[in-house]
Amino acid sequence: MKLKERKRDGVAILEMSGKLMGGPDAETFNETLKTLIHEGCHNVIVSMERVKWVNSTGLGILISGYTTLKKNGGELKLLKVSDRIENIFIVSKLYTVFESFQDEDEAVQSFS
Amino acid sequence: MASRIELHLPSNMEYLGVPDAVLMEIGSDMDCSKNDLEELGTSVIEACTNAMEHGNQLDDELPIQVIFEVEGNEITITVLDKGPGFDFEHWTPSDELMRQRGRGILIMREFTDTLEFARQDDGRFMIRMVKKLKPSEDD
Repeated sequence: MKLKERKRDGVAILEMSGKLMGGPDAETFNETLKTLIHEGCHNVIVSMERVKWVNSTGLGILISGYTTLKKNGGELKLLKVSDRIENIFIVSKLYTVFESFQDEDEAVQSFS
Repeated sequence: MASRIELHLPSNMEYLGVPDAVLMEIGSDMDCSKNDLEELGTSVIEACTNAMEHGNQLDDELPIQVIFEVEGNEITITVLDKGPGFDFEHWTPSDELMRQRGRGILIMREFTDTLEFARQDDGRFMIRMVKKLKPSEDD
């Protein structure tokens, strides 16, 4: 998994690509969130347009990130989740936790 | 005519995409629902994650075996590892929504028609899943 970071209106947008599957991916993601929190940026959008697939360990990484940001007064939202990955969120009932958008403007505005 | 493909993969998560890619290649020659194929792909990734991580403890020297058997629109996938397995007869899904682990079996069960766990005579732990893929017009 690779992460590219940018900011828009005080919201961090993490463009994720590849396969989200645990192991070193967890470290990369957690370190990025830690740095953002340290910089005072607590609201994060994870763009999943270029994520090929996610396994249950990868889901755990997103849950951990969501919990970390929530504890720091922020939120983690998802952008452009594919049908394949959305099905996993549905069967695991995690769609009830993660707010998800198809449009970036809408996702950014949802924090204001 | 039934066809059979076998893979032997090192227990390294970097290879988790291989069985998914093989399945997508098999599916490219079939008139089948993309959604069904992706659900089975997600399930085989989960089975291999379990086999590599919990079964073979991510030991590169211990391979997992993945067998694909195709008959018509029905695909059977068997994943074998050398680990201790788990008490599948007493497994119940957790209802803790925010747990970080333990969704693999739930996902495989939801996305396949049949899911079976067993200990082989040779001591290896086996996960076998079967899914009959709907025709593509059902997407």
